[in-house]
Amino acid sequence: MNDSVLLLSLASAIVIGTPILLAGLGEMMTEHSGVMNLGVEGMMLGGGVVGFWMSSQHSSVALSLAVGAGVGALFALIHAYLAVTLRVNQIVSGLALVITGTGFAGFVGSSNDSALIYARPQSFLEPVFGESMQDLPLVGPLVFGHDWVVYMSWGLVAAAAFWLFRTRAGLAVRSVGEDPASADTVGISVGLTRYVYTMIGGAGAGMGGTYLMTQIFATYQHGITAGLGWIAFALVTFAGWRPWRALVAAYVFGALRNLGFTLQILGASVPSDVLNALPFVLTIVALIIISARPAAARKYSAPSALAVPYSRETR
Amino acid sequence: MTDESTPAASTAEPATVQASGGEPHDAARLNAITKSFFGVPANDRVDFDLRWGEIHALLGENGAGKSTLCSVLAGLYHPDSGEIHLDGERVDLASPQQALEHGVGMVYQHFRLVDRFTVAENLALGHPETGFVTSRRSLERQVAELGRRYGLEVSPKAAIWQLSVGEQQRVEILKLLYRGVRILILDEPTAVLTPQEAQSLFATMRAMAADGQAIIFVSHKLDEVLEVSDRVTVLRDGERVGSVETAEADPATLARMMVGRDLATPDRTRATAGGAALSVRGLFADGDRGLEALRDVDLEVRESQIVGVAGVAGNGQRELAEVITGLRRSKRGQIFLGDVDITRASTLQRIKMGLGFVPEDRMRTGMAGGLPLASNLALKAYRQPPLSKGPVVSQKAVEERARSLEKQFDIRGVRWAMPTSLLSGGNIQRAILARELSAGPRVLVAAAPTRGLDVAAIDAIRQILLDERDAGTAILMISEDLEEILDLSDEIVVLYEGRIMGRLDPDEASPEVLGMLMAGRTVDATPETAKDTA
Amino acid sequence: MSLPLGAFELTVERQQIPSRLVRMAAPTASVAFGLLVGAVIIWASGQDPILAYTEMAKKGFGGRLALTGTLVLATPLILTGLAAVVAFRMKIWNIGAEGQLILGAVASSGLGLWLGDNGIGGPVGIVLMLGAGALAGALWAALAALPRAYLNTDEVISTLMLNFVALGIMNYLIFSSFSHWRDPGRATFPVGRFVDDSMFLHRFTGRLHIGLFIALAAAGALWWALRSTRWGFEVRVTGDSPRAALYSGMRVDRKILSVLMVSGAFAGLGGGIEVGGVLGNLDPRALSLGVGFAGIVVAALARLSPIGVIPVAILVASFTNAKPGLQVLGIPSEIVTLLEGILFLCIVGGEWFLRNALRLHRRVGPVEAAAS
Repeated sequence: MNDSVLLLSLASAIVIGTPILLAGLGEMMTEHSGVMNLGVEGMMLGGGVVGFWMSSQHSSVALSLAVGAGVGALFALIHAYLAVTLRVNQIVSGLALVITGTGFAGFVGSSNDSALIYARPQSFLEPVFGESMQDLPLVGPLVFGHDWVVYMSWGLVAAAAFWLFRTRAGLAVRSVGEDPASADTVGISVGLTRYVYTMIGGAGAGMGGTYLMTQIFATYQHGITAGLGWIAFALVTFAGWRPWRALVAAYVFGALRNLGFTLQILGASVPSDVLNALPFVLTIVALIIISARPAAARKYSAPSALAVPYSRETR
Repeated sequence: MTDESTPAASTAEPATVQASGGEPHDAARLNAITKSFFGVPANDRVDFDLRWGEIHALLGENGAGKSTLCSVLAGLYHPDSGEIHLDGERVDLASPQQALEHGVGMVYQHFRLVDRFTVAENLALGHPETGFVTSRRSLERQVAELGRRYGLEVSPKAAIWQLSVGEQQRVEILKLLYRGVRILILDEPTAVLTPQEAQSLFATMRAMAADGQAIIFVSHKLDEVLEVSDRVTVLRDGERVGSVETAEADPATLARMMVGRDLATPDRTRATAGGAALSVRGLFADGDRGLEALRDVDLEVRESQIVGVAGVAGNGQRELAEVITGLRRSKRGQIFLGDVDITRASTLQRIKMGLGFVPEDRMRTGMAGGLPLASNLALKAYRQPPLSKGPVVSQKAVEERARSLEKQFDIRGVRWAMPTSLLSGGNIQRAILARELSAGPRVLVAAAPTRGLDVAAIDAIRQILLDERDAGTAILMISEDLEEILDLSDEIVVLYEGRIMGRLDPDEASPEVLGMLMAGRTVDATPETAKDTA
Repeated sequence: MSLPLGAFELTVERQQIPSRLVRMAAPTASVAFGLLVGAVIIWASGQDPILAYTEMAKKGFGGRLALTGTLVLATPLILTGLAAVVAFRMKIWNIGAEGQLILGAVASSGLGLWLGDNGIGGPVGIVLMLGAGALAGALWAALAALPRAYLNTDEVISTLMLNFVALGIMNYLIFSSFSHWRDPGRATFPVGRFVDDSMFLHRFTGRLHIGLFIALAAAGALWWALRSTRWGFEVRVTGDSPRAALYSGMRVDRKILSVLMVSGAFAGLGGGIEVGGVLGNLDPRALSLGVGFAGIVVAALARLSPIGVIPVAILVASFTNAKPGLQVLGIPSEIVTLLEGILFLCIVGGEWFLRNALRLHRRVGPVEAAAS
């Protein structure tokens, strides 16, 4: 039963969904602070390529993920400086970051003396749980068949949900994203909050990119993220800015990536090109449905100050 | 006619009252505060002192520097020079947060509440004693307790956007009390309240003062200041005129200190009204939140007549103006311009039929603030020759027209390509009137035509409206300023919760009667109510 | 914000109207700074920055071949730049030029193939082809414009998402189906069918085709329309304040529709021109190069001026054109993309100096204030 095509493809949806989830969750934190960072794809590539390089130098996967996250956060820092301090248009800055991150990854990846294209990660993660648990029907492959990064991502979802909606710090960041002037009057530093959460978003993207390159593809290629960063960006909207919904949505989007393959085995032929576009179609549909229903819009729409620069002495 | 250019004769003696010995220190003492914006001083060496347990009114006209002074004390603005002492200690307030730590909090005119948060969440926000993990239940209990103590009851679970303006103000005050504020600054708190809500606010203020807290009450309404305060400090043009004990003050003196001259006796000439120019029959409409904002409104404005619509903000005035001008849909009822039914007509059709509109939100509705004035003056006329021929607009014609209107309506301070928003409020309002009146309207809807303007501009704008009435235009004037309503109107209607509460002749209307109607009480003694739908 | 410097202090002040000097100096300094950062990175990677820069300039502009190549690459960039300009002017954030360009290419190649199949070609065919491209771009944009105009659906997300839907459609037509667009003779390595030679855009010299002049004309037309027509006036007013637009009797919903569709039409025309002037078929490998996103940055660097888009697009295109040449010299061509990104970030950041002025004042200390 555990060999059924459906189950296997669901399990692999979780695998491919993980980098989407990591990057998407990060972007969700960023957007809750009122900063929109379109540069996810660039940060995934830029952070991922350095994380991948680390994995080819050192056997610790945790170290390479941390390095990837750190570099992703540095890319995000550029966006934070432009968007928060210099108050430039966040769309333009985010897109410029995509180009920079892509160029950086390409440059580092194809530099003569590094030649990451031929490099391989030194180690791969094994499932956390033993064979006996992985062989359990249904829950074996779905729940117990994963490496620790997958479980960490679940932990991060729970932590993000708790952090955002049950803690003082979450209240603070959401107030900065909803109404920075009000947050300012109660002494919350709008600028600092936005910097921190923008960098958290970059870290998520960098970690997602590293996981994708080191654990899923185990190789670096030019443009290897192939739009996953954009899916992660869409995820935030599709999930209505809620972490738990993001978990489900990430795996739905992950499943769509694999669905073509699955369907083919099952005898139906839906081209992968169509399926690849489905996450984006779903996001548009969700967006339209929400905006058509004012009650839902109050609850699941973007933070009110998203992409709006803040300055105090605007009279 | 009033003489507006008389320089402020110093009629008022600066009567500073020395702190009496009871308390060791004043709650707050501000010395020689100066604060400028873009080189224009908003406060010029202002001294101010506040005692514990007093309600201290800060009186002055719009632009006198009241809000700036309060913002300095609340840490929002850093003064260019001057000193602040709190409870005898010299302090430097770099942020509202620091002010809060010193026990100083301010309720701004624009509430600083997060719309999508609940009342409890708003209170927890930024409060130093909020635990890292927020417990909703205990928070909600605390909020309810605090509310009961000061008569500020509001449901802690409600989201802010679900509350009325009066309730939102209570949340603002609660927020500061919850933070342990001992010096409370209220910036024009009654501007958005019904008289009843204002009374309940005054009760809260008295309860707090009795508790030993110090309250600064900013207002430009004499009656309120006399009713609730213990002491009054008057500001004019960014400078302190003087302070007096309220018990020793009389309205005329205060008014003179505030304005710098005697108040003008209103010009009571009347034009003879002609035929009906604007008629509204049985009008119903919804507000932004989907609640009914207008209920069965009947109105008639005749040529050469000003009908004043009085009422507390938020009782359907904005919706009335928007429905008449086509910016909002009506649910039922009819609107006639002359004898043409315009209920279903578009805004553009109404404009073309001679309906002018001076909206209350000048900067974003009446003007596109980022565009130069010439473009804004062309906002409606750009569709016809000489400004445009077919689809092509002549930039030259637009600018020529702007120059002639600038001269005709005495609009000052215009520079080429400068965004309109940089002009002063008075000049912006002149410009809006210039644009609307140059179209030669049959009917003009003017909402809050002088709100926030200085005295000279107010006089000028009112005169323009009176001249326009005399020239035959029918004017529907919506205003929260009772004085303005009484001075200019040929007939007054009062809106309350979207209904017309009564119709009055201004010669027979008193502020008291108007106040009752605005608060939703029918006044049996007024014979005018019988004139309804005559 | 202030920085004390002895008896003076440096303060930052908001300014509304930047001086002419600042308007010229800010971007120049930003470019210089960006090039410096790029030089450090190139140097750190063991390459010679001077050599890299001179080579880039040479491959971008040196000689007829380089120059025409740059201009050919600039053509779609000008059009996607214009697409961004017209939408951003009204604060409608169309970031879907990518998808609109692709749909334009799909429609024009589709129509071109059909016309060819039916024996129609030549100038009539070209005009129809380009028209179909513009129309398809406009209609694709309308998918985001209609919900934006009538439901207030956020167009940033919807236009962005539609890019990838368009990409999916194009890939499907060539890679995953035996469609009208696909060359049936190439089963293993799928490519698009080529339109009839008579519908290729006229070429002047090298690869330079008439499309450049169509793009230049489009820039001029947009400049004129924004400046001197009732539509342009309405766009400016609506962009500044939608409420003021409604107030003065303009139909904001229609303006949103028309602006987004005009924006889409520019991008779609770009797609048509790529098919007619460069590719000759629907080629997914050539049409997913980020020219739509780059157009947005180009528009921002041109400060939303339709004419300003032209030089900026040519400069950016020269970078792209230099890529293959650098690779030959052993300099990783991706340095160009990286440099492009760095320059974009620096110039975008440099805009700050247009809105703020640094001023040096004598310090006003507490002592002086007390004395006065």
